Amino acid sequence: MIRGIRGLASLFLTGSLGATAALGADSDITIKTFQFKPTPIEVKAGTRVTWANADDITHTVTSGTPGSRDGRFNTPLAGKGATFSFTFPEAGTYAYFCDRHQSMRGVIYVK
Amino acid sequence: MNTQWIRLSGGAVIVALFGVGCSMSPAMTHSMPGPTARAATSATAAADLRTGLNALLGEHVMLAAAATNAALGGRQAEFAAAAAALDANSVDIARAIGSVYGAGAEQAFLPLWRRHIGFFVDYTVGVATKDKPKQDRAVNDLVGYTQDFGAFLASANPNLPKAVVADLVKTHVLTLKDVVDAQAAGNHPKAYMALRGAAGHMAMIADPLAEAIVKQFSSKYAAQ
Repeated sequence: MIRGIRGLASLFLTGSLGATAALGADSDITIKTFQFKPTPIEVKAGTRVTWANADDITHTVTSGTPGSRDGRFNTPLAGKGATFSFTFPEAGTYAYFCDRHQSMRGVIYVK
Repeated sequence: MNTQWIRLSGGAVIVALFGVGCSMSPAMTHSMPGPTARAATSATAAADLRTGLNALLGEHVMLAAAATNAALGGRQAEFAAAAAALDANSVDIARAIGSVYGAGAEQAFLPLWRRHIGFFVDYTVGVATKDKPKQDRAVNDLVGYTQDFGAFLASANPNLPKAVVADLVKTHVLTLKDVVDAQAAGNHPKAYMALRGAAGHMAMIADPLAEAIVKQFSSKYAAQ
């Protein structure tokens, strides 16, 4: 029950809006100080997005939200320098989060 | 001991910790209400930072101990008030971080900080209900949390080595655990002596944190 309340509460603790990245072929997201930056970003369909961990701790890049994982990707980035890339072939709104620190959220708008 | 209430209070404290709104002033050194407020001992921004962090972190320990003592004693109204005050303190600490590293860091820090309070709630519930596996899980979570906390500050400030910060926070966890254990045992002299130690230890976190921030932003905190 406590975990459920934590998860519910964390929904209300996020929501910072970062800069919107320019449309392009590739896009990079840095994980630093327990934040995905930038977020949200907007990219064209077919763009390969790469996440790079700049924190000295394991984060994950997990698709969906803690309460609704969509199974597209769930990759641990074990420490500083670890990267993960994913190509988004279709338009849509793609949420992702860190499974170890579930208040860390991001969104990618694919046009 | 009202174990049923303790079981419920684990959830109640989380609700209280997440439910309290933010009403503190943006200036960290002006955000310390009531009797815990301390005047800056110097007119410099660096001294303000140091005294502000010491006050906030010392207050954190005192309020956490008040909350666990009330919970273990089954005093629900007192517990709710202590938990609310503890969360207000958490918000102030996050704002202090945000005043240095920006709103994004503040928003990232607050849930991370609240997380360790949640683990302490788990531990306190485990102690109250004599649930050793729950206590052990909570201790493991807290020890793991020290690495997260160390990584956060190391990422924000290159003058703060992750391992050093993690070790300091581990001592915070262990000293506060001693307080909870003594409270649960009804050993008041030991509880209050442990509380003195736990509160005093926070200077070991606040001082190097302040010094590292001053070093990182030396022009901002240059002597006035």
